[in-house]
Amino acid sequence: MNDTPWPPAARPRSSGLLVTALLSGVALLAVVLVHLQQLERLNEALQSGQEVRSVQMHRQVTEYLQLREQWARALDAGVPLDLRALSLRYDIWVGRVAMLRDDTAIRRTAMAIKPSLDDTLKRIDAFVLAADPALMTPMTPDERRAALARLHPALVDLGEAMHELALSASHLATAEQTQRDLVLSRYTRISLAATAILALMAVAYAGFSLRQMRQLRRRQAALEALTTDLRAARRAAEANSQAKSHFLANMSHEIRTPFQGLLGMLGMLRGTALDARQIDYLRTATESADHLLAVLNDILDMSQLEAGRLQLSPAPVALRALLQDVESLMRPQASQRQLALHVDIDPAAPERARLDATRVKQVLFNLLSNAIKFSQRGSVDLSLHLDHGEDGRERLLFIVADTGPGMEGATLARIFDRFERGDPATAGGTDGSGLGLSISRSLARLMGGDLKATSTLGEGSRFSFAVPLEPVAEAELAAVAREGDAQPAQPLEVLVAEDHPVNRQVLAALLESLGHHAHFVPSGDEAVTAVQARPFDLVLMDLHMPQLDGIAATRHIRALPDRRAATVPIVALTADAFTDTRERCLVAGMNSFLTKPVSRDKLGALLRQLFGSAAAAEAEAEGTAELLTARVDGSEVDGLPLIDSDAVARTLQVLPADRYASVLADYLTHAHETVSRLRKAVREAQPLELRVHAHATRGAALNLGLTALAATAEGLQNGAAHLPAHEVARLVQRFEDLIAATREAAERAGLLPAPLAARG
Amino acid sequence: MTGRREVLRGAWAAGLLTALGQAQALETPTGPVVLTVSGQVRHPNAGKDAQFDMAMLERLPQTSFSTRTPWYAQARQFTGPLLRDVLRAAGAHGTVLQARALNDYRVEIPFQDAQRFDVIVARLLDGAPMPVRDRGPLFVIYPFDAQTELRNAIYFSRSAWQLRALEVR
Repeated sequence: MNDTPWPPAARPRSSGLLVTALLSGVALLAVVLVHLQQLERLNEALQSGQEVRSVQMHRQVTEYLQLREQWARALDAGVPLDLRALSLRYDIWVGRVAMLRDDTAIRRTAMAIKPSLDDTLKRIDAFVLAADPALMTPMTPDERRAALARLHPALVDLGEAMHELALSASHLATAEQTQRDLVLSRYTRISLAATAILALMAVAYAGFSLRQMRQLRRRQAALEALTTDLRAARRAAEANSQAKSHFLANMSHEIRTPFQGLLGMLGMLRGTALDARQIDYLRTATESADHLLAVLNDILDMSQLEAGRLQLSPAPVALRALLQDVESLMRPQASQRQLALHVDIDPAAPERARLDATRVKQVLFNLLSNAIKFSQRGSVDLSLHLDHGEDGRERLLFIVADTGPGMEGATLARIFDRFERGDPATAGGTDGSGLGLSISRSLARLMGGDLKATSTLGEGSRFSFAVPLEPVAEAELAAVAREGDAQPAQPLEVLVAEDHPVNRQVLAALLESLGHHAHFVPSGDEAVTAVQARPFDLVLMDLHMPQLDGIAATRHIRALPDRRAATVPIVALTADAFTDTRERCLVAGMNSFLTKPVSRDKLGALLRQLFGSAAAAEAEAEGTAELLTARVDGSEVDGLPLIDSDAVARTLQVLPADRYASVLADYLTHAHETVSRLRKAVREAQPLELRVHAHATRGAALNLGLTALAATAEGLQNGAAHLPAHEVARLVQRFEDLIAATREAAERAGLLPAPLAARG
Repeated sequence: MTGRREVLRGAWAAGLLTALGQAQALETPTGPVVLTVSGQVRHPNAGKDAQFDMAMLERLPQTSFSTRTPWYAQARQFTGPLLRDVLRAAGAHGTVLQARALNDYRVEIPFQDAQRFDVIVARLLDGAPMPVRDRGPLFVIYPFDAQTELRNAIYFSRSAWQLRALEVR
């Protein structure tokens, strides 16, 4: 389709059109010229009075004859001489002849007829010269008659010349008329020919036009086909891009889930007795993890922004508090690099505004950490102004200015591009995903504002982040004020529906460190049962559970007849941070949403939001969990300890020893069931089943510090699909053997209340 | 229609002129008669005709213009009363005038021509009276140069020279 040949260029046709047009023009011009000439001829004939001239010549003869008749009558002696009448006739004739002498058209005509006209005129003159006295001199009638009789033959003589003149005039008139008719006929023929050419050209032109039109239609069709293809291609590309974004988002989630474990454990490790080197390692590990989490968050943000799935949650925000939060978080970084950090608020700026505080902070953190990262000395200033945007609306303008090295134009033009970073040499490191500014700008634009940068090389950079000002309504202000009210502190009874053992333990530890009581159920239907059995202040509901998932369970709870049970606050717990997931939760009747990994801060904030500040009181976990005094005896299997004392110690940070003991006992008891499930899966050749069970038991074993069991489970998990059946069977057997060995080791270490083993 | 209205208007004008003219009836010529207006004439002074001698024509308002004609090599100046003044003096009313010349030339002139154009009955050529030998004594002249649509054989033929009579019909 795409390589549909284009119709050939229209050049030959347009040149044909040009020739046609040219010929038409020439023909038209010819017609016009011919008609003009015709008109000129006609006018000439009209104005010169040609017709009149011919008549004049005949009148000449008539008047001559009338004179001759009168003259002859005067000679008749029997009639009285009428001199007056004769004189009149004479004068008329003389006047007529005079016209032949004057330089008029009549003379010219006469000359054309008779070149010897002047001879004739001379003869007439001679006659007149003789006749004048005969008519004008006073004399007797007889004398006059005699004089007239003498002149009569000369007058009669002139007759021949006069007659000839008239006759020739007739012929000339005929000739002229014929000539004119001939010319007219020629012009008419030319005119006809030109008209015929014109008609031909018109036909040709119509033909060309038709072809042009047809061609145009063909090209249009081709163009439309191309457009359709392009549209399809664009749709495909968009679908691709969306799929990619989706994949990225999913991947980030997949990574974030185990991350909860990693970060949680790192946090707990910090509380154990560590030597200087270990503390250093731990710090590096934590920093790396933090960085990795930041990058993951960036990618998630970016993919959600790209997919258009990121939604803002604007709420009334105290601007001063927001800037203080930002300052307190950034100050350590600034002082570490010996940079001054100034925060300034324009007095005109309002106290509060409707903003998505999290996202505004995200942008400010990004701008400030960039500024701190790139500045070697001097200061970093954050200021908030109230000003007017280009559309005249009020807006909040956050300005982050630094005294760093600045950027040149080319760099400045690139910084908002994805995966672009400043010069690593000046950055003093290559941390960051390269997405920060791109995300910040996208967020700013999502808020209806913008993010712009100016910079002077060697003097520093200035980022201005503008957000349209949305004032806070009165009612909202009251709500904000209430939020600050302290409420009586009281331990909450929290039901946690979570099937993953590690997450359960971390959550238990977190809740307890905040002074609350956690109760666990492993599935949705059990959660429904639990809320009916006894009252809870809060339910934390994992979304992905076997049988009944979190959303279905919530619907069930909300539908319970027991009003108290049906109205318990429910908070979703998931690694899936998509907005539509969030919406599904809220639609199902959940009150809020907590994304994994759950941190102490996040949980505290949530509780504050639901129960007031007191519920999340800084009830600093006593943290001094009873240290594991009894050292594990170091019994090993294949180079692996049965029980990892460090892991146990870490778990004991948040889990009381007796609880640990019961969990451990439970685990070991159920491990036998696991073995039979594993065997069944092997027998029925269901590697997927095998993997799921192995994975579940491994997670629990790791958390309890049962290293050897965990390693064997891992072997099973990894080899489930490709190891030969006997190898798998051997591993299951080994897992079963290890259960007993581990129990013994635990009893020896005092982790289990063994009948024979004593603590210590 | 238009033609008829024009005619009616002409008739009305003629009637008005008649009323005016009756106050001062056409005098009797004292010199030789040079122009006789016959036919539908309301102010006859000789039987049924209105006769003019040169002095009577000279006493009418005079118009003078110079124009080219087919009969002279150059433009010549013609002077004389307007044809319509002559007709008014005679109380003539009709649709057609038949002009007659000493040489028996006859031509019909639409009555309207006298109204539409400043046609004169020329009695002077370049300020001098015209003898019969020079197409005198009277010459009907249209303003050929002032109105070019007059420059054709029809109007040339209506310019009767040696004019002696006008018959109003």
